[in-house]
Amino acid sequence: MADQANFERDAMQYAPQLYSAALRMARNAADAEDVVQETYLKAYRAYDSFTEGTNLKAWLYRILTNTYINNYRKKQRRPSEVELGELQDMYLFRRLGEASGAAQSAEADMLDAFVDTDIIDALEALPETFRMPVLLADVDGFAYKEIAEMLDIPIGTVMSRLHRGRKALQKKLWDVAQEHGITGDRS
Amino acid sequence: MSGCDHAIEYVYHYLDEEISFFRKSRIRLHLKRCAHCMDAYEFERKLKGVIHERGRTDPPPELFDTLRALIQEEREKDESGS
Repeated sequence: MADQANFERDAMQYAPQLYSAALRMARNAADAEDVVQETYLKAYRAYDSFTEGTNLKAWLYRILTNTYINNYRKKQRRPSEVELGELQDMYLFRRLGEASGAAQSAEADMLDAFVDTDIIDALEALPETFRMPVLLADVDGFAYKEIAEMLDIPIGTVMSRLHRGRKALQKKLWDVAQEHGITGDRS
Repeated sequence: MSGCDHAIEYVYHYLDEEISFFRKSRIRLHLKRCAHCMDAYEFERKLKGVIHERGRTDPPPELFDTLRALIQEEREKDESGS
């Protein structure tokens, strides 16, 4: 069992990551700060029940995710799978490949052209059902099992949402690439 | 299933390190022989890294102070209550 007296020493280091995750979820700074504050308060109160030596970051993310889902998630249209449409696997790789012609490995070099705001806008444009698993896996690096626990859904659902969410993210990035002329075919 | 189809189907399982030893070995062998799939894997690996590095936003500098004050307040409440 963890000691409340050590809470700040142990937990404060994760605040920047938690804030960033909250901001990607809520998509506005005011709500993100509120979510993080509520998370830290709840975590402090419950710190007695945290088992020392287990993954504190995952424990905090679980509280964060619950707090966001229960108290801050905006009522939204029924999130439909149809919304994403049918996209090819490795959508961005294929599109960039077509745009770059025969040049070897040119696709990976093109990724250097994406700036922070391109990535952030593309992440935030994802419907929430898909945004959460993509954030937790790709930005924060959690395992499928951890994400399943955080979102309280089966692992199979994590995998299918992650798969669809990543394709949709790649589609957004492709749109950005075209707008910015990253692909080089602006004629 | 061809080696390429198999490699493409399991690309995320592989990169997320959520794959069985057997499948991983089979894919590794395929990537050694197939430059196109290797390119695709390198691309997806790099993209994952780009999202990880560029998908974050720094918090406002006062966040730490706000959180510390919040917890301090809670601690004082506990102490005066008990």
